[in-house]
Amino acid sequence: MNIDYSQELPVVEGGLKQAQIEELVAKPLDTKPDKKFLIAISISGSLLLIGAICLGLTFYYGIGLWGNNQPVGWGFDIVNFVFWVGIGHAGTLISAILFLLRQRWRTGIARFAEAMTIFAVMCAGLFPAIHTGRPWLDGYLMPYPNQHQLWINFTSPLIWDVFAVSTYFIVSFVFWFVGLIPDFATLRDRTTSKIKKTIYSIFSLGWRHSHRNWQHYEKAYMLLAGFATPLVLSVHTIVSFDFAVSIIPGWHTTIFPPYFVAGAIFSGFAMVVTVLIFVRKIFNLEHIITINHLEKMNKVILATGMMVGYAYAMEFFIAWYSGNQFESFVFINRAFGPYAWAYWIMVSCNVIFPQLFWIKKIRRSISIMLAIAIFVNVGMWFERFVITVTSLHRDFLPSSWGYYVPTLYDIGILLGSFGLFFTLVILFTKTLPVVSISEVKAVSEGAQPSHNGGHH
Amino acid sequence: MHQNNIEYQKKDLPKNLSQLGWILFGAGLILGVIGFFTDQHRALLNYLIAYMFILSIGIGSLLLIALEYVGGADWSVPIRRVVEFLSSTIIFLPILVLPLVFSIHDIFHWAHTDVVAKDEILKAKSSYLNEAFFIIRVFAVLAVWGLFYYLLIRNSNAQDITKDQLLTKKNIILSAIFIPVFAITITITAVDWLMSLEPHWFSTIFGVYFFSGSVIASLAAITLFVVFLKEKGFMHPKLIDDHLFSLGALQFAFVNFWAYIAFSQYMLIWYANLPEENFWFLQRWENGWQYLSILLIIAHFIVPYAALLSQPAKMDPKRLKFISVWILFAHFIDLYWLVMPNVNGYYFSLIDIVVPLIAVGLIILVFNYRAKKSNLVPIGDPKLQKGLDFRVP
Repeated sequence: MNIDYSQELPVVEGGLKQAQIEELVAKPLDTKPDKKFLIAISISGSLLLIGAICLGLTFYYGIGLWGNNQPVGWGFDIVNFVFWVGIGHAGTLISAILFLLRQRWRTGIARFAEAMTIFAVMCAGLFPAIHTGRPWLDGYLMPYPNQHQLWINFTSPLIWDVFAVSTYFIVSFVFWFVGLIPDFATLRDRTTSKIKKTIYSIFSLGWRHSHRNWQHYEKAYMLLAGFATPLVLSVHTIVSFDFAVSIIPGWHTTIFPPYFVAGAIFSGFAMVVTVLIFVRKIFNLEHIITINHLEKMNKVILATGMMVGYAYAMEFFIAWYSGNQFESFVFINRAFGPYAWAYWIMVSCNVIFPQLFWIKKIRRSISIMLAIAIFVNVGMWFERFVITVTSLHRDFLPSSWGYYVPTLYDIGILLGSFGLFFTLVILFTKTLPVVSISEVKAVSEGAQPSHNGGHH
Repeated sequence: MHQNNIEYQKKDLPKNLSQLGWILFGAGLILGVIGFFTDQHRALLNYLIAYMFILSIGIGSLLLIALEYVGGADWSVPIRRVVEFLSSTIIFLPILVLPLVFSIHDIFHWAHTDVVAKDEILKAKSSYLNEAFFIIRVFAVLAVWGLFYYLLIRNSNAQDITKDQLLTKKNIILSAIFIPVFAITITITAVDWLMSLEPHWFSTIFGVYFFSGSVIASLAAITLFVVFLKEKGFMHPKLIDDHLFSLGALQFAFVNFWAYIAFSQYMLIWYANLPEENFWFLQRWENGWQYLSILLIIAHFIVPYAALLSQPAKMDPKRLKFISVWILFAHFIDLYWLVMPNVNGYYFSLIDIVVPLIAVGLIILVFNYRAKKSNLVPIGDPKLQKGLDFRVP
């Protein structure tokens, strides 16, 4: 296939007219839930229920129900937290950084990715809140002058996490909501139901699609993109500090901040690809979320996968180069010790399988990309498991060597977090436009003036 | 096919550019030789800094070319030749490196076998840090860079005549292969030439640190040449301030990226405070080096950040010219800060100023030499028209 590089590829395919785009995106909101929807929500709801039961038992009996032990004091709670924060990185990258880089293809997927970001950060926020088994004490995370004169430990990266993640959540949410305003107005103008009209009117904040409205909107959107961009880097940087400011071999290494950020984008994109493959099929959005979109995301997965691979290699090399026997031991123990199985799952899923994306055919094959994206999700979960557990399970003294095995409650809570995530995603598809109507209209053919008189 | 070669006419670059290059190069060389006879060790280290300066701009530019192809960018096509000319210093690196290769023993602590024999840690890493393997790595890296340079530039030049779109496709594939190769080779370069100056010290982020500095320096050099040539009317007449905006925005992004990487490295070592790592920063916080450390933060981050923050600043040619020179200066300070404090009892000397002149002069001369041979605009590139039509939304 020969591409003409002098021409722009259309972002929206199938020559969709503006009204058709509106029709297509608003359809799930106008129709009653069908059987597929009910099946999907009952599956995700069941997972959520399993998680809720396990969590309830944990609160009742305490975290003795979990697999955490001595020396592995951090288990699934931190692993799941880092995993979900990572998933929450693709949305803001797509909506903010790709916006500043003027990538027009982002419009088709930005809304959905942003929603996934918000839900993933919610799932992530769950784990710090429950990891003591006493969620009623979470108020002490906030620095306020309480009657016990207890003050938080500002030198702890765990408290920086509280601020970093909550800031990220707020800005991502505002960004998402601002993007929704013009679409709320469109929905308000189309709907015939009185209740819906009232709700949409409230959320559209009096939007009239006027020239003045758009001018303010675009300025606000750009400023928010500017604010959100450093946040994409900062959140996972702070999360990496949870480990890297310590002096545990395997945790303390300077490449952690950019390595965690790359890994977060990697896992986030994999999750977005996984979910979008189903969404575009179920809601007939193949002309808006095209194969080209998925191919570009697969390229990002390939690039960030190699960045993560670079970090793995660099850690190994420097562990040897440092001449520090503890560093070398931890890394050899990772690859060939009792947790070698987890390490090699991580390496093959994150570094080896994504290399298949060098081949164009595979980048454009739905079934293979789905398989690779799921592998990446598994691999990135295992990455956090490897970092947390393998660095802890063999302490400096061989008398404090142990092995960590998660209990059913750990696994139940992990399943519950997936249940929460997918329940929110499924509800989102039925209540809000999954694609930004106004932005996609702006990149459809004929929407923008062209310097050479257009090429239709 | 668009007709875009009519508006562009090839002109010779002004004579005073090559004159400036010769003056800087000649002065640097003469004064450098004098410096060599007064203080051999210091002059060698300064030559290392000058060499890394040339290297970082050359290889950083080649990476930016590769990123244009892989990312499918249009806006940078009209200025790509400037980037190509700047990357052409790569072919001179195997010659420029010779004085350093012949004095490995003087520059590197680990090259003294008697010292290594008494030091357990150096002994442990001697299978990597030894003269033979070091020289193999140096020339292997330079050979790989030369190969990619040759292939990418050959295709780009050939396209001026043939206008063959297949050449763009070939370069996209080459660039995609080059980027991971670049990541590995620049890390080896950073570890070998800079990190191993203090062979006991180690930092996993160091390759990324050197990479971020190289890219920002390359962007500054590119911007400086583009603005200068545009003002004198050598660039395509349709090249406007909107194109400069992208350069300004990229500079701004990489100034932040550099600061982020530098902060990450410092923060983690400072917080953990392990003696096996923190001594490297302590060296840079005593004997007067602390002022240079503070200057580095101001020059390499705070000033360019403030100067490029606003949107109009990013497309103001005057501002960009100033800040580009500033960033190149900051990049020099960065390299100086990486190299010099490793030597005990060293502080600022006049030799430190004269040797970098060689680097600046040489970059100008090589640029001028290459500009004679090719068009200043890639007239056969299929994306040229799209690139010229680029406007900031």
